[in-house]
Amino acid sequence: MDLAKNLRIDSVSRLQPSGPLQVRPDQTVDEAIELMRRDQVGCILVCQGDCLVGIFTERDLVLRVLAVGKPLTIPVAECMTPDPVTVHPKDPITVAVARMEEGGYRHLPVVNEAGRPLGVLSVKKIVHYLVEHFPTTVYNLPPDPTAVPKAPEGA
Amino acid sequence: MICPNCGYDNLPGSEECSSCQQDLTQLDRPTANNRVEQSLMEDRVGLLEPRKPITVKADATIREAIQTMMSHSVGSLLVVDDDGRLIGVFTERDILTKIAGRPEGWMDLPVGPFMTPKPECVTSNDTLAFALHKMDIGGYRHLPVVREGKPEGVISVRDMLRHITQLCREI
Repeated sequence: MDLAKNLRIDSVSRLQPSGPLQVRPDQTVDEAIELMRRDQVGCILVCQGDCLVGIFTERDLVLRVLAVGKPLTIPVAECMTPDPVTVHPKDPITVAVARMEEGGYRHLPVVNEAGRPLGVLSVKKIVHYLVEHFPTTVYNLPPDPTAVPKAPEGA
Repeated sequence: MICPNCGYDNLPGSEECSSCQQDLTQLDRPTANNRVEQSLMEDRVGLLEPRKPITVKADATIREAIQTMMSHSVGSLLVVDDDGRLIGVFTERDILTKIAGRPEGWMDLPVGPFMTPKPECVTSNDTLAFALHKMDIGGYRHLPVVREGKPEGVISVRDMLRHITQLCREI
């Protein structure tokens, strides 16, 4: 279980990116929000046909729609982030982590050679991958093993 | 469980050697196999240099909260009471799920009813493993660092990833 090596060998597809939730650029912000709420996610891919053209995230919603007082009826194309940074499913995990760190992104669209979106890789999947790597005993150890609860359990 | 003292093969989980009464509890503690694991088990949250907390009062309006988010370029705010004690967090996700699409005038509503109350916290003395585990279980991207109920910082998933990938590069 050598984490440094595995991060270089394991590919993005090993992290099982979530299925691509998508809208067309001409759909409204309202429709996008409804889909994001339904799937409890913070971002949605904007696709024209089979091709990824942008990404719409909760941050875009706050900064480019609500904060400037635009109505939710505007098309997603007006407030999305165009041409997002992406990863290929065969890219090693280190590449994905580096791209997230570089741009400060929490989501990366996973696209194939043809530019077709296959899913979204979120930073949470990477955290879970790290946690899986170490025995749970490591995590279950209380930070202060000598601490004693003030009240007996169940009291 | 082989007793390190006399070599007797005890039942797994025994507290003391049934042959020589040697204390065996230490053998159950996990040991670090590499640098990363060692750092996660031994280094404390304070090492990540938690960022200064950005706070709002529960009675601040959503307009003020969004402006604070914009001016600090952050996606989450800590909500505090009048004594400065942490009572909740208010994030972009709360805006997405509870606020967008409300009738006109929502900007002037207070943050309190829309925040996520009683957030999971860490202290600067907790281990990195403990914090990472909390992030994974709850799916949190940020954890407030508190001291006696008052926020003194925030650590993010990104701080944690940066620390771990840096260690991996050094190996």
